[in-house]
Amino acid sequence: MSALEARDLVKEFGVRDGVRRSVLRAVDRVSFTLSAGRTVALVGESGSGKSTIARMIARLEKPTSGEIVLGGEALEGEALGGKVLGGKALGGKALSDREYRHRVQMVFQDPFASLNPFHTVEHHLARPLKLHGRVKGGAESSKMVRELLERVTLPAEFASRRPHELSGGQRQRVAIARALAPGAGIVVADEPVSMLDVSIRLGILKLLARLQREENLAVLYITHDLATARHFSDEILVLYRGRVVERGPADQVILEPRHPYTKLLAAASPDPSARGREFSVGREVVEAAGSAAAYDHFAGTWAAV
Amino acid sequence: MRYYVRKFVFYLVALWAALTLNFVIPRLMPGNPVDILLAKLQQRGGSIDPAARRSFELLLGTGGDESIVSQYFAYLGNIFRGDLGVSVSAFPAPVSEVIASSLPWTVVLVGIATLLSFLVGIALGALVGWKRGTWLDSLVPATTVLSAVPYFWLALILVAVFASALGWFPLAGGYDVILTPAWDAEFLSSAIYHGTLPALTIVVSSVGGWLLGMRNMMVSAMSEDYVLTAQAKGLRDSRIMIRYATRNAVLPSVAGFAISLGFVVSGSIITEQVFSYPGIGSKLLQAVQNNDYALMQGIFLVITVAVLGANLVVDLLYALIDPRTRVSGG
Amino acid sequence: MSTVDVKRRVLPRWSPKLAIGLGLIGVVVVFGLVGPLVVGDPNTVRDIGLTPPGGSFWLGTTQTGQDVVAQIAYATRGSLQIGLVVGVLATVLSAVFGIVGSYAGGIVDEAFSLFSNVMLVIPGLPLVIVIAGFVPAAQRGSWTIAIVLAITGWAASARVLRAQTLSLRNRDYVAAARVAGERTWRVITVEILPNLLPVLASQFVFAVVLAILSEAGLSFLGLGASNSSTLGTMLYYAQNGFALQREAWWWFVPPGLVIALFGCGLSLVNFSIDEIINPRLRDVPRKPGKVAATVEVVPATRGSDDAVLTVSGLSVVYQGEKPVHAVRDVSLTLRRGEILGLAGESGCGKTTLAYAVNRLHKPPAEVTAGAVTFHDRDGTDVDVLGLGVEELRVFRWSKLSMVFQGAMNALSPVTSVAAQLDDVLVTHRPEMSREERRKRCVEVFTLVGVPPERLGAYPHELSGGMRQRVMIAMALLLDPQVMIMDEPTTALDVVVQRGILLEILKFRDSLGFAVVFITHDLPLLLEVADRIAVMRDGEVVELGSAEELNVDPQHPYTRELLESFPSLTGERGGFVRGTPALDGGVR
Repeated sequence: MSALEARDLVKEFGVRDGVRRSVLRAVDRVSFTLSAGRTVALVGESGSGKSTIARMIARLEKPTSGEIVLGGEALEGEALGGKVLGGKALGGKALSDREYRHRVQMVFQDPFASLNPFHTVEHHLARPLKLHGRVKGGAESSKMVRELLERVTLPAEFASRRPHELSGGQRQRVAIARALAPGAGIVVADEPVSMLDVSIRLGILKLLARLQREENLAVLYITHDLATARHFSDEILVLYRGRVVERGPADQVILEPRHPYTKLLAAASPDPSARGREFSVGREVVEAAGSAAAYDHFAGTWAAV
Repeated sequence: MRYYVRKFVFYLVALWAALTLNFVIPRLMPGNPVDILLAKLQQRGGSIDPAARRSFELLLGTGGDESIVSQYFAYLGNIFRGDLGVSVSAFPAPVSEVIASSLPWTVVLVGIATLLSFLVGIALGALVGWKRGTWLDSLVPATTVLSAVPYFWLALILVAVFASALGWFPLAGGYDVILTPAWDAEFLSSAIYHGTLPALTIVVSSVGGWLLGMRNMMVSAMSEDYVLTAQAKGLRDSRIMIRYATRNAVLPSVAGFAISLGFVVSGSIITEQVFSYPGIGSKLLQAVQNNDYALMQGIFLVITVAVLGANLVVDLLYALIDPRTRVSGG
Repeated sequence: MSTVDVKRRVLPRWSPKLAIGLGLIGVVVVFGLVGPLVVGDPNTVRDIGLTPPGGSFWLGTTQTGQDVVAQIAYATRGSLQIGLVVGVLATVLSAVFGIVGSYAGGIVDEAFSLFSNVMLVIPGLPLVIVIAGFVPAAQRGSWTIAIVLAITGWAASARVLRAQTLSLRNRDYVAAARVAGERTWRVITVEILPNLLPVLASQFVFAVVLAILSEAGLSFLGLGASNSSTLGTMLYYAQNGFALQREAWWWFVPPGLVIALFGCGLSLVNFSIDEIINPRLRDVPRKPGKVAATVEVVPATRGSDDAVLTVSGLSVVYQGEKPVHAVRDVSLTLRRGEILGLAGESGCGKTTLAYAVNRLHKPPAEVTAGAVTFHDRDGTDVDVLGLGVEELRVFRWSKLSMVFQGAMNALSPVTSVAAQLDDVLVTHRPEMSREERRKRCVEVFTLVGVPPERLGAYPHELSGGMRQRVMIAMALLLDPQVMIMDEPTTALDVVVQRGILLEILKFRDSLGFAVVFITHDLPLLLEVADRIAVMRDGEVVELGSAEELNVDPQHPYTRELLESFPSLTGERGGFVRGTPALDGGVR
């Protein structure tokens, strides 16, 4: 049963060029399904539209068209089938922001920016607990805050600290705990480790993987790094200029790429065993292939986008 | 292109707002200013021809049953024809004539003083910022004291010291009263001589603001990567200071010119009063004291238009020094 | 600890400036509050006329024999009252228009911003004078004046607050609060407002100063409130009583002085607030590139015959209450034409080391020990730490050039790329003609694969990859023997990064300079570098050829770093989904 289904998401931004106005399509008819216990990775370079998709799923941006449908019994046993958000409704009623965020949460890229320097860790965790009715009263709240900290392997005394007293990795753990606080079943992780020091990146990803297992979370993992996408996710969608150009099981997409763009990305990743190599695929080949067709490893066919 | 269009549109809107304010304010105020004006006129033995009455009514409100909208458009029409009514205090001179005779004094005085204080402030600010950590730092609090001093009080002190006590400069006026205004050396030198203390007042009180703003921006610019790169490039300090740090740090000062110009103009109006300077500030006060409403409004409009014009010029200059405004999208 | 920190974020740091400022404000406020209680009636008219200070009248009397001290006490109170009221009103107005508008965004923001900008360019005082002129004197109460001053005085603050709010509302923590489910008003008041406090405070102080000055001006013109006496009113009577002509300085000097002292006090406090808002203003720098006087110049021995740069026993310390040893006793030899990788995580000292080699380190960093020797092509050795200011300037870029990380800021945004390249040639090669310089610029542009017609472009017109290529072209201009590259490709997309790396490898072969390549990306170094030094806590923990490091890393930290990068095509190693794995402790 799907936890979240994105159907034909489109996001357009108005661009002013002199007196003329044109429309830039940042995301072009992107569809995917998130299921409990599985991770879907969105891979692409900057400007590919991957962060815009993350922000739409987190309801920070409104899709220009398309739908985001929540459903499935994974969500605390409630039958939510057919509740439709954004775009046109398909018979189901739209969820309020509060209800939606009760189910969908997000971990931001930069832990130095995503925590308010003015507030304590306690504030960052207690607020969502309270807003989503998971605690009543101060004592319960402070107990839950400590529980959350423990689950992201931070000591309880961190509750009274402020962001600047924490290292990057510790901050990101707090940010993950905050995303867990409302008890959501779906988590969007937007480049959760790219701003962190390399030696702690895997630790954070392993933490996310463990929590996903424990909570049976549906995770959308946004990244530019093919290697972690392959190891961390079940399914990979490769984005190029706002469109999905390749999708399939993680290993297949990385090990047997079909679209020239995926091949180019793979070839550009560092590979110590291949010193001094040249590009196997040139930009021109990618330009030529464009984003008109996408390869679907599940179906084993190319399909026009 | 887009930058220029946006600026022009903005200043048109600002101009319209000023004209409308000018129309609305007298209509919101208690009393009937037209009657007061006409009574004053009669005291002076002035005859009221219907055209003069009409233009007063359009400026100040008719009290009759003419709709506000048709008043408004007739008012705008009058303004664009340059008809600002008749001055009561200088009867029978029209307001536009009174303004025309006093405006050049103010424009020259405030223009030169502002330009001077801007240039001196920017240069000193750049130097103080660049040489941070040296004795030059003490210039900052010193100029702060000067900018916290009311313009007119500084003018009083300058007059007390340089005019009354030392007798270096005249006490008041814009030129020697025995001369008649003309474009000759004698008159001009007299005007410069008389204008020195008022100009000094404006420069001294406003230079601190420029200096502080520039110094702070300079300090920020100096920690930017491009200054580090310039140092790594082995450029000479003077070149780095002028071409890299100052060139970037000056942008916010120019962009913020509008704010500062407003303060300078406000300060100058009162300063003129201290020096009995024959400029537009003294005329404004004279108008207020004599209930010469038409002149009052005319002067307000002219000052506003002058300030808007100066700001527009600065904004256009800004486009020249910041290439980013020339991007088609920006 | 945490409360102390909040204070540091919200309260200014103690300094002589702040102390003097608060002192001045305190004295004036106490005088305004207590003064009227102890002085006599300021309106008592005595038939002694204008008397100079002395006797029972410390500051003399006015022309009607009124006690100047008593008048000042009451006038100070009046000025402070109006300053405070206008300050509060104007700050509230500017907060509404600046903060609410910019947070709402869209058409509301456009409208609010247009409105405040129009209010800003319409000169305030003439407008106030006109309004005051229409209101009959009898109806001009202090509230009327306060409201008029507030209405004409809020716009500048609104602009500042808008700019600040715009930058805050795009912060991730605001988005995170929305995702957590916070309502709009709570996002504004609880998440944004506290971070605006210093700016609000500074704008409030500014509004108070402005109000007191404007009110003084208005009263001086005789247009002030009819029911209150302020310092401006005193000056009005002084002016009309010909105090100036009668040289009665005791009448007109003190009122202005009180305004000046109070305004000065507020401005000094504002300095300290500005330092919270912009921390760059805080620290007073000393001379950059400092080498401690105790550093002995040791003639470095060449590590090998083909060495171009030898660093021996270099230590760099960030001086302060607790000195931080950023670089500890590092010795490295850079061979001619090799790529030496410097790998490590943030704070390991790799950038400090690279900057110190060219003496670009900024105070409080200081080289405390060691030597840096450059071995020129012609056989002479240069002791870089011992160079004089001018010698160092000549040395930089011609022998050793650098490519910095942030390509966006490394180029000045307001100067064309051509001018920034030209600068180097004008300074280092004064004998070159304009034509020759132009030719050289075209040459290096062609080398790095940037079309020469882009020479006239400004940095913002180039993509990130292009800008970094321009930086490399600039570094090539003087045909240096060493190039230090600090994370040259980190901010770029992998494909662009790859392209630039290939270019660097190509030049190294054709032009023969040596490269110090600094990055956190060890796999990248394994692929491009000849030798790699791994740094941690200021020390080089392992130094070896790329092959050695890849196949047989010796130090546990090198292994840890290597394992941090999962292989794209290889086995998953320790990182396997679905099986319980350790996710590390607190790091």
